[in-house]
Amino acid sequence: MAIEMIMPKVDMDQETGTVVEWLKTNGQQVTEGETILVMETDKIAIDVEAPGTGILNGISANQGDVLPIGTVIAYILEEGEELPAAAAAPPAPEPTTAPEPIAADEEVSATPVAKKMAKTLGVDLSRVTPTGKGGKVTKNDVQSSLAPAALSGEVVATPAARRTARLKGVDLSRVRGSGPKGRIQASDVENFQPGAGMVAASHIQSGGTIPLIGMRRTIAERLTASYQSIPHIQFTARVDMKNFINARNDYNELAIERGDEKVSVTAMLVKLVSMVIADHPMINSSLVENSIILHEDINIGVAVAIEKGLIVPVVKNANQKGISKIAVETNDLVKRAREETLVGPDVRGGTFTITNLGPFGVEQFNAIINPPEAGILAIGATTNEVVALEDGAIAVRPIMRFTLSADHRIVDGAVAARFIADLKTTFENPILMNY
Amino acid sequence: MREITYLEAVREAMTQEMERDSRVFLIGEDIGVYGGAFQVSYGMLEKFGHERILDTPITELGLTGAAVGAALIGMRPIAEIMFMDFTTLASEQLVNQAAKLRFMFGGQSSVPMVLRTPAGSGTGAAEHHSQSFENWFVHVPGLKVVMPTTPYDVKGLLISSIRDNNPVVFIEHKLLYKTKGEVPEEMYEIPLGKADIKREGKDLTIIATGIMVQKSLAAAEKLIKEGIDIEVLDPRTLRPLDTESIVKSVKKTGKVLIVHEAVKTGGFGGELAGVIAESEAFGYLDAPILRLAGREVPIPYNRDLEKAAVPQVEDIVQKARELANLKV
Amino acid sequence: MKLSKENAEHYMLQMYQVRAFEEQAEKSYMAGKIHGTMHLSIGQEASAIGSISTLEPTDFIIGHHRGHGLCIAKGADLNLMMAEFYGKENGYCRGRGGSMHIADVAGGNLGANGVVGGGIPMAVGIGIGLKMKAENQVLLAFFGDGAASTGAFHESMILAVLFQVPVVFICENNQYAMSFSANDWTTSKKIAAHGEIYGMAGSCSTDGNDLLEVKNAVKKAVDLARSGGGPSLIVNDTYRWRGHSKSDRNRYRTAEEIEEWKKKDPILKFRAYCNKEKLLTEKEADQIKEQGYADIEAARVFAEASPDPKVETLEEGVYAP
Repeated sequence: MAIEMIMPKVDMDQETGTVVEWLKTNGQQVTEGETILVMETDKIAIDVEAPGTGILNGISANQGDVLPIGTVIAYILEEGEELPAAAAAPPAPEPTTAPEPIAADEEVSATPVAKKMAKTLGVDLSRVTPTGKGGKVTKNDVQSSLAPAALSGEVVATPAARRTARLKGVDLSRVRGSGPKGRIQASDVENFQPGAGMVAASHIQSGGTIPLIGMRRTIAERLTASYQSIPHIQFTARVDMKNFINARNDYNELAIERGDEKVSVTAMLVKLVSMVIADHPMINSSLVENSIILHEDINIGVAVAIEKGLIVPVVKNANQKGISKIAVETNDLVKRAREETLVGPDVRGGTFTITNLGPFGVEQFNAIINPPEAGILAIGATTNEVVALEDGAIAVRPIMRFTLSADHRIVDGAVAARFIADLKTTFENPILMNY
Repeated sequence: MREITYLEAVREAMTQEMERDSRVFLIGEDIGVYGGAFQVSYGMLEKFGHERILDTPITELGLTGAAVGAALIGMRPIAEIMFMDFTTLASEQLVNQAAKLRFMFGGQSSVPMVLRTPAGSGTGAAEHHSQSFENWFVHVPGLKVVMPTTPYDVKGLLISSIRDNNPVVFIEHKLLYKTKGEVPEEMYEIPLGKADIKREGKDLTIIATGIMVQKSLAAAEKLIKEGIDIEVLDPRTLRPLDTESIVKSVKKTGKVLIVHEAVKTGGFGGELAGVIAESEAFGYLDAPILRLAGREVPIPYNRDLEKAAVPQVEDIVQKARELANLKV
Repeated sequence: MKLSKENAEHYMLQMYQVRAFEEQAEKSYMAGKIHGTMHLSIGQEASAIGSISTLEPTDFIIGHHRGHGLCIAKGADLNLMMAEFYGKENGYCRGRGGSMHIADVAGGNLGANGVVGGGIPMAVGIGIGLKMKAENQVLLAFFGDGAASTGAFHESMILAVLFQVPVVFICENNQYAMSFSANDWTTSKKIAAHGEIYGMAGSCSTDGNDLLEVKNAVKKAVDLARSGGGPSLIVNDTYRWRGHSKSDRNRYRTAEEIEEWKKKDPILKFRAYCNKEKLLTEKEADQIKEQGYADIEAARVFAEASPDPKVETLEEGVYAP
């Protein structure tokens, strides 16, 4: 006897529910009480349990569908049972999670580097467009595939919708289309709210559940992979920031005079770190299969905290750009990161990351490396401390502690230590950046 | 203001212009004592005499060529081909000669003639007396093509066409002859190449020609009750086309339905769709450009079949509703 | 009636100009300097000049695709004519018309036509217009035996008579409509008879290679038209030496036939007449011939030095302002 699964009512004034994610799909065995669906109302995401034990089938509501409460959205069938005649032709649920890892390596022609990278990053090689010789998927192809769907042209939208998206800075691949066959209409873009379907941190109420989907899930997976597979060694150093602060002030006076954008701490950090890295190529590398790839470009990623997680936009060739230029770039990247309007190229190609929790008052912390990079620099807060000088005198100086986490397979202790020493010297004498 | 019929408006335009300009004369079949197949020139023989109302035997090619020749030498003839279906017989003189003489001779001459012709179906006249070929003539550089839809428009446009120094194909839908409207008594010109918004709206643009303008307006009245506000745009002149007005309207509504009586394949709707798709308006389209037009069939005799062969008000209502609701 | 010496010289010059023009056009074409095709009227000079010699400067002609002789007879500027053949910007039609569509409207030549019979219905209308203008002008409307079979011709005959237009319709029967032999369906006499049946009393046929015979017949008809007596149909029986167009292989006629007709060369006929009537000596005639060829040579030089139209001006002149 087929058991109907309906869109449940959980709130007093609730009239509709939105499907967020099916955790089981048509044909799979489910047990009564097992959470098989995540659904959302105005306020919160709700786990929905299977109303019976059997085979799930006839799913008629997909991710994003808004349905009145009480609508039949699936059936639990007995072995060999047919769907009831009343069941509408069930559309197969679309994948709602991050791309699955490759099913069969051997079927897709890819370079070893690409295969390894894809596995690490959770990319389905069969969905990557190959540009290598003989149609092989290359490392760059894998990285490119991390771009939003809009860039690969998979989105069906009307010209008016595209225009509105352009004007509002909306990523079309995130908009759900209400037109025929899911075509995105202008009104869909106009009504789009970034973060819809995700629960914003500020709206979390105690006692609820946050589904691990989208960015949250991606972060979880990548950090787990990094933490589990890369042997991290951490080195902390303490620096006197007096000259750094003065240098920044000098730059800002210049900037104000010229009417240019102000130079942020982030910009200074990016420039300084990139110049030091130039002398320490092992730090600017990636381990792939059995090779250490030394990157020619020094592309510094800047970790930016946003409402729903973390994103790392990249300043390319930072060592080749002047501070003013880096300031303009970082200001723009951080702004767009917070507006959630970054696009693929903004977050690709990083070779080293800086993460700064100084503004939050964190004294010192150990960051987890952002694969496939070899290191990450965690910047702590700058606070006035009492220090003992060379000659034994006591002074109050602005002190900051930074911690380098490095991939011990690539970076030996001595290599890391030399890098740290160089960093410290440069922080304390910023003119060394351009020496 | 007094109301007169579309037919009376045509007669008035010709009469007033003939009184004003002695170079204007009529030539056609049965336009004299018979008063014209549709009675358009009724009374004009008495007024102007045989010298200026030239009745001919059945000689479409000959009479059209005569109009071309007279225009070539400085007269302003108005030739009438009784049914647009018979312009096929006249097309040598219209397409090869009238349209091309100016260009061919490097600008030495011009052909200031008007060829008026009743077109369209709905009178039970069937295959050989019901066609709409406006698109054939739109296709010819050197011709101008005008298709007025109201008594007010037809008078102003006919006066302008007579005064235009180029050959103008002036198409009158038979079923419009008896429609009434306010028409000023004095002479006035409506410029060729200017469209008219017959009804302003914001949800959807219907571009219609000929009698489809009236049908579209009726459809709009029905649909406003469902909250669908339709803008009806009447190009009035098909060549040269008022692209600017069309683009403006489509940008405003983002949805366009083209309605014409002539057969869909190779019809004017294709030209309009192309113009819109190539224009600035493309970026504002929120749905595909739709065309509702005549079926792929000669016009049949049976009344129901005849009706079914061309768009009717209900067809327009359905299509417009689908489009407005983005079901297409 | 006898010609004046002045007229004799004038007609002789024109005939040689036509002959020279056609020969040069052919040469230029074969040298690749003129493109498209052309329809030469060598052998039909008397029909053109004889007919048009009857007109006042304010009268009009309208022609056909084999009308170079008609243009010259109507007083076209040879330079501008040749420039048009070369497709140049300063040709009569700005290079847009070429051989088949040449016109000199200011000079009363309302144009050649690429459609056989295309000009005949227009001729009726021009006649209607001339009548309305009431300035005593007439029109000569030229066409060939090929057009005499078209619907356009027959409809026009009916309308011309109905409206009593001041038009003389001149059929230059050169025995062939491209490759179709006129003698398979008609003769010059029969075509002329059509005119009578339709109601044009003065219709007749002439020896189209006899300039004076043509002139006399057409003059009568022109006078009739001018006095309000309505249209006539004159059929000039003549022959074209060259093929229909440049691609004609002359498969439909024999070399003997062509030779026979060449013996009836209208220019030689006219020279003989002038000689006999002591209007022109052989020497004078030769001098005129030289002059004619020299005029054409000058035209050729002019044309070859003329500018081509600019492609940017392509869409000009389609519509009158």
